[in-house]
This record gives sequence, C-alpha cells and structure tokens, in this order.
Amino acid sequence: MNIAKIRKKVAEASRGRVNAELKNNCIVLSGCVDSWDEAVEACSAAATPYSKIHVVNDVTVKNFIEKPMRMPALSDTALDGEKPDVLIIGGGISGASIARELSKWKLSILLVEKEPDFAMQASGRNDGEVHPGIDLSKGSLKHYYIRKGNKMYGDVCKELGVEFRRVGQYVCFNEAWAKPVIALYVWKRKHIDKIEDSEIISGKELHRREPSFNGSFKFAISNPSTGCVCPYGLTIAYAENAVMNGAEVMLNTAVTDMQVENGRIVSVATNRGTVFPRIVINAAGVFSEEIAKMANDRFFSIHPRRGTNSILDKKAGRYMHSVASIKELASSGGHTKGGGILHTVHDNLLIGPDAVETSEKENVATNPESIEKVFTRQKKTMPALSERDIITYFTGVRAPTFEEDFIIEKGRNCQNIIHCAGIQSPGLTTAPAVALDVEKMAVEMLGAAEKNTEFNPVRKPIPALRDMSDEERAKIIAENPDYGEIVCRCEEISKGEILDALNSPVCVPTLDGVKKRVRPGMGRCQGGFCSPLVTKIIAEFLGKPVEEVRKNYDGSVITYGTNKGGTAGE
Amino acid sequence: MNNYNVIVIGGGPAGLAAAIQAKKDCASVLLIERENRLGGILKQCIHDGFGLVRFEEKLSGPEYAGRFIDEFNSLGIESLTLSFVTKIEKKTDGFAIHIVNRGGTAVYTCSAIVLATGCRERTAKQVFIHGTRPSGVFTAGTAQHYINLMGEIPAKKCVILGSGDIGLIMARRLTLEGCEVLGVYEAKPTPSGLTRNIHQCLNDYGIPLYLSHTVTRVFGDERLEAVEISQVDEKMRPIDGTRKTVECDALILSVGLIPENELAETLGVQMDSGTKGPLCDQNLMTNVDGVFSCGNALHVNDLVDYVSESGETAGAAAAAYIKTGRKTVRFERGSGIMSLVPQMLNLEKGIDNVTVYFRSDEVANNRSLKISVDGEEKFRKKYAFLRPPEMERLVVDFSAFNLKPGSRIVFETEAAK
Repeated sequence: MNIAKIRKKVAEASRGRVNAELKNNCIVLSGCVDSWDEAVEACSAAATPYSKIHVVNDVTVKNFIEKPMRMPALSDTALDGEKPDVLIIGGGISGASIARELSKWKLSILLVEKEPDFAMQASGRNDGEVHPGIDLSKGSLKHYYIRKGNKMYGDVCKELGVEFRRVGQYVCFNEAWAKPVIALYVWKRKHIDKIEDSEIISGKELHRREPSFNGSFKFAISNPSTGCVCPYGLTIAYAENAVMNGAEVMLNTAVTDMQVENGRIVSVATNRGTVFPRIVINAAGVFSEEIAKMANDRFFSIHPRRGTNSILDKKAGRYMHSVASIKELASSGGHTKGGGILHTVHDNLLIGPDAVETSEKENVATNPESIEKVFTRQKKTMPALSERDIITYFTGVRAPTFEEDFIIEKGRNCQNIIHCAGIQSPGLTTAPAVALDVEKMAVEMLGAAEKNTEFNPVRKPIPALRDMSDEERAKIIAENPDYGEIVCRCEEISKGEILDALNSPVCVPTLDGVKKRVRPGMGRCQGGFCSPLVTKIIAEFLGKPVEEVRKNYDGSVITYGTNKGGTAGE
Repeated sequence: MNNYNVIVIGGGPAGLAAAIQAKKDCASVLLIERENRLGGILKQCIHDGFGLVRFEEKLSGPEYAGRFIDEFNSLGIESLTLSFVTKIEKKTDGFAIHIVNRGGTAVYTCSAIVLATGCRERTAKQVFIHGTRPSGVFTAGTAQHYINLMGEIPAKKCVILGSGDIGLIMARRLTLEGCEVLGVYEAKPTPSGLTRNIHQCLNDYGIPLYLSHTVTRVFGDERLEAVEISQVDEKMRPIDGTRKTVECDALILSVGLIPENELAETLGVQMDSGTKGPLCDQNLMTNVDGVFSCGNALHVNDLVDYVSESGETAGAAAAAYIKTGRKTVRFERGSGIMSLVPQMLNLEKGIDNVTVYFRSDEVANNRSLKISVDGEEKFRKKYAFLRPPEMERLVVDFSAFNLKPGSRIVFETEAAK
C-alpha cells in the first residue's frame, strides 16, 4: 500500500480536488467535486481491485443532497425490548439465506426488512443468472465463493422447491483470429482458476445448439455450469424455510440507529421499537455502509450502480434456450455493461442489464436509453430480437464497493457485527455458499450453540398447475376445486395457487406479493385481466374492503372506495 | 359423449353468435367460456350504442349480450363456464380440447373449432412509458372492470392516454363518477375512436383532447403522482422542449387492442401482419382445416354488430364443415389499406356473396376502393371519407371476376374520379 502513489492517482483523476489519506487501515478520500460521477472516478482511482484495504468515500459533491432512505409508513412498538441472539438486517438473498442457515441452530433469529416484501431491491431486480465465474480470477472473494455457490445450486433449489435450470452460457466471438488467445484464456481459467467446465466451441457447433444466434460468430466460450433461477423466488423460499424453522421475520421494519458501547452494539432502534441483539448481521445492500457507520465500523463505501432488464413475451422464449453474450474485442473492456440474453425459468427471454453509476440508492425508475443500448448490443448476438416483444422492464441498483469485491467478515472495530456487504453480481450465485460461512462466523461469535434438531431443510413449493398433466391436475382439483378456477389467463394461475400464496409462511397480501409468489400478472397482458380479480381475492382473504388492498407499499392505493350508490357487482 | 360437431371457444358476442348459428344449422355445439358468465367484455360495457346496425336500437352492452344469451339458452345450447382451455390437439378426424374447471379436467372432441377468444389491451410498457412502477396506471378495460363490475373507483384525477373508444368511454364514465379527467392525449394527429364518441364522451363534458401528444414518463413511488407529457412529431417521437408534467393519480391507457391468438398459434394458424389475427378465407376458416376465427380475435372491430356478424359466418361455416380440398387465392393489400378481412378466397366455396371488411390507413376524403385482378379493375366503390378508426364493410360478388388459382387480387384506395 503506497499512499503517495494513490494520492497522485486520485489527484490526477480529480484535477487536484480530492485528497487521499490512510486512516485506520482505510483509504479515506476527502475534498469537494462538482458531480457524483467525479467523486466515483476519484474513489475508483484510489481503489485496488479486490483489496482488503477499502476506499471510504468522504468526498462532498457540490449542491448534492442525498435523499433520505425511504421509511416504512408503519410505526409501532411490536419489537420493543426483544432480545434476539441474531438480528439480520436486510431481506434480500443474503439476509434470507443467512437466516435459513442459522435456523439450523437453536437460536432466536430476527430478520428485519424495511420494504413490504423480500427481494424488493437488487435481489428481485436482477437477471437470475447463476454464473460460472469465467470472468473471475483467484484471489477475490467473488472467485472463492462462486465455485462453491454454483455447485450448491442444484441441491439448494431442490430442498427449497425452487426451479433451477443449468442451461449453459455462450460468450460469442466474431473474430476468428482471436481464437488462440481466447483458448489460452480458457486454459488459464480451467487450470489456474479452476473454472473447470469451460471450453471453446466452434461457430458451427454454436449454431447447432442455438440456431437463432448470429451466423457470423466464429467461435464461443461454452460454460455449461451456468444456470438460471428466479431470484426473488429463491429469496422468498429461503426466508420461508427460515420461518418454518423458527426464525422471526419483520417486514416494513427499518433500522434507524444503534447504540454502541465499548465496541459492541448494545441496542438497535427501528420504526417498530428498540431491540437488543447479541449479534448483528449487516446484509443491508445499498445501505450496508450506513449500517456499518451506525456500528462505528465504516471501513468501506458503496457506490450504487443501476441496471435495467427487459422481459420478453414467452413467444420470444422459443428463440434460444441458454444464456448468451457477445464479446467484442474492438470495444473497450471494463464491466460487462451490455448485459446478455437469458432464457428464464419461466420461459421468457430476459435482456440486459446495463450498468450506470448513480448517486440515488433507491431510484429504480427506468429510462428509454437503457433499453435502446442493451437491445442494440444484444441484436448482434441474436438478430431476431425485437423491442416489440417486450412485456415489461425494470431497474435495480447494485451495491458494489470501489474494490468491486464482497465484504464477508466480522467487524473490524465492532465486536458483534458480521458484514455481508458489497454484494453485487454474482451475489445471487454465491449466496448459498456465503450463507454457510456467515453461519459459521455467527455461531463462533455467539459461543456455544445447540443444533436445532427439528430443522427441516425442505420447503414444499406451491403447486404449479400449469406444469401438471391432466391426471395430476384432476387429482389436486378433486381435493381443492379452487385449483380448477383459472384467474390469470396468460400464466394460467388458479385461485387455489393465489390462496396458497396468501397462506404461505410469510403472508404478503398485496398484488405484487401474490404476483411474486405465484405469477398472476407476470404474463403478456401484465395483469390487465386478472388484477381486479386478484384484488378481490385478497380483499376477501383479508376480510377487508377492496379499497384497502395495496399494490405493494402502504400508499400504493388501487381503488378509492365504492362508486355512487353502487353495490359490488356479480 | 364428449363429442360435438362444433366447439366454440369464447362466450363473448362473437362466440355467442357463432354457437347460435351453428346450432340453427343443425350442428351439435358446445361453447366454452373461461369467465363465470357469458357475454365477454360486453358485461362491463354499460354505456349505450350497441346494436345500431343490427337491431336499429341503442342498447347497452349487457342488453346487447342479453339478447344473444336468451337466444342461446332458448336453443338449449350446451356451455361450460369458468372453464379454461389448456390445450388443443389436432387429431386425424378433428380436435381434442382439454379444459380445466372446478370439476377437474376433461377432454372434448369436435370436427370444427370456432375461436372467438377476443382481444387484450396494449399495456404501458408496450408503448414504452418509462419511470417508476406506481399503482394507478390502468388499461381502460381494467379501470372499467373496477368501476362497472366491482363498483370501485380507480381514480380521482386522471389523464387518459389514447383516444381509442374505450378511452373515450372511460373519460365520460369517470367524469360521471366524480373523477376529474384532465384530458385525453393522443399520439396520432387524428383521433383513434369513433367520431360519435368524441362528441358524446368528450365534447359534451368539456374534456379536452390533445392530438400529437403522448405520455413519456410516470412519477410516484407508491401511487401515481404525475405524468410527463410531450408533444410528438409525425413519426410519433417526442419533440425536445415540449415536455410538461401533469399532476394526477391515475393514468388510463387506451392505446390499442391485440387479438388473442395464442391458442390458434399452437394449432399452426398463420397470422396476418395487418389485422394481427389469423389469415382466413371468406368462410372465416384459417389456413388450418376446421379451425375458424371470428370477432376481435380475427381483427379488432369498431362495432359489436360486425363482431356478431363474423361469428355467424364462422358458426355457419363450422356447422357445414366437411374436410375437402381447398383452392385458395390470396388478397393483396395495396396502397391505402391498413387491414383486410378475409385475406383469401376458397374458390371451391361460394364466392358470389362475400362480406369484406377493411380499414383505411389514413384519413382521407373522396376516396374509391378499387379491386383489381391481374392488373385489371373489377370493382370500385366510392367513399365520401375514410378513417382508420372506422371499419368499412361491403359485400362483393367475386364470381364475375373470372378468378383462377394464381390470380393476383389487389385491394387499394385511390382518389375518387
């Protein structure tokens, strides 16, 4: 670590406006710049990829006022005085998987999530790719966990009742001359970095496997271990299994403050009361830096990076059946910003994501430029791709550190916190493996813990009627006729499945909550036909008027009450 | 026991008319409907104006549907409601239709199928509206379902995008329920709905119509808070510097209908780029023998009267269907024709009394529709004006045209002489 060298790089990147200092084994940047992008540039210049000495961003941006974190509308004392062994902050894939692994122990576990559902941010707003790790070199935590995580997927998804398909990935090349160089690269990956299944295939073989791909491709790297999963489905499954095994989950619950004494967190304040955990796990995504700061343990910084994905009609799903991207050697390197094409577990195509630095941690609004950029690039892989097949698009915000690696470790200045921070791609792939390590760390930190002998790793999924044979369907309908009443015509979802979602271990009785669990409204009409019906089913389930049903958040009102003298029809 | 001559899929106006006609023509008929009541979308169309052509009366949607439902019932036609078709298999002597309902699963077989599956609405993302994903963004049909079938008010202060008929009807409906309708915005330079609806739904209530304007963005993290509106050029691209933000709590979309033919496609039915429905001959049989199409699944109609008429055509043909060879000639869409139904003629069947529906691709006065065969003009009809929202219907006697397989039949419009 040569701070003089870093200082020079930072000064160059910021035209002398930002200074770097080594403080408590962190590189702390300070100064004042004109824009967020300039601050990011300066911090990136100071960072050494994968280093454990992190850049802490104290650079101020002129006229920049950071938006406060959006808070749940709820305010009560439901949690006041609770003394859990473990408090997990964050209900994304990291927090949910850690909660599930920790539920193997006789511990009181409390998971808090500020959003009204799990996987509301990055974990529910990514492409669902289970990565092979082809682009990762030895020495990073990403590399360490990806091989383990990828291998675990089959078993974990089987236990949790989540569909997982190992579909394989192709990185396609147009330049025949590059083949020897890429072959060497693949050799290194295989023998040095132990990404063992990668191989080079010819253009001819590629077209045999994926006939819709551009005919001009000369060869491709094939990574058969690549898979796909429904990322929010897996997060919800993990959380439900944790709850089944005794963990407590509180949605709409945000951490607002912590009391720290002698390097230990004593209490944690939330909008639902103050809790007194023995240890805290920081899985707060884009807000993990704020959580670390509350624990007096801020030794890294997060720079949010947003990405937009499009979902295409299932008809377009017939074009290809794997994961694909194009590597253009002429263009500059950097992050894989043009995304790829992925055939999802629900048989749609997913196109994206792009990558754009942003100062706004919670701004998930979409922009036309993202879609245009990604489509222009992906049409080079598959010319049949058309924006006309888009049924929806969404944006998520990643939570990288400037070192672009994960932080999975015990607190440096706080004795009872474990950070699971800086999680970005391939965080979904690594989550099962990371959760096991965090479990170990937590158990160690807590001292002796007893095994939960009643732990059941199996979560039964809600039956998916559309995938059943007529005979299987008839059988299940005979038991419960609600399975025979189709509510969502596009995705063929029955009333029975919707009621199952409402009766699941963590009930989220909103349109989006039901949609994420059993898919009504995910199809080509985007809920045009079924949303009034689902709203009504939720209202009946809750025993409340229709106007009290929400789309997701407290303020996401759907209707404003009954019309003039009207009585509910039908 | 589960075998019928004709199975009609869809119990809206097209399906009802098809089933009634097939039954009258002595076929055994089963109608399958996925909702719990017959009538299709007419159930929620409580405004009047239905049946002017057919009954010379102004009926409401439920009244119009009621007349067909009464006839359907009096003929003793069998129907399955709340029953969903999961799969159709082609068999050597017909079709096997798999359904699911509260009773379980079942398979019904038939010689001919009439697909009367209607259409769905284009959504916000399909017209590339960006921004957040709040509640309060509804397609017009969804808003209509809430307000007319459930008695729930979906908006207090709204913007309507698209001047399609449902959008115009909803502008009036919401106004009558006390909602403030700030305006109807239409990306095209001309309205998309019927002229009578512009008068009766907007002008009579003082609701402004903004042509060449569109919604480009929505705001609000929970409920919709505002929309961004831009003026658009002739290619419907937003013009820089014309952007403005309008505060509202609902955006109602009436931006087009898409015929629903996902079942048809599983049978290998070919689609027409003009209508987005199946390619059909004069009997409304698709390229797949024994598969007929009608109503809004065939092409989006402007009046329900034509929906019923096409149902009758398809129903009669399905009842009379016997598998025979076909000798078809295709129609070509020449200049000025946006969509055309049918798209082909079967020379083996009657061609002396063929009902043709078309839409012009532009607003124009004093036009002629010209039909030519191999470059020679065979038919001409004058129109004082043609507008894309209004579907034109005419009956043509093709028997005088000397048609042979391979004849090139072109429909086009030109300035009237």
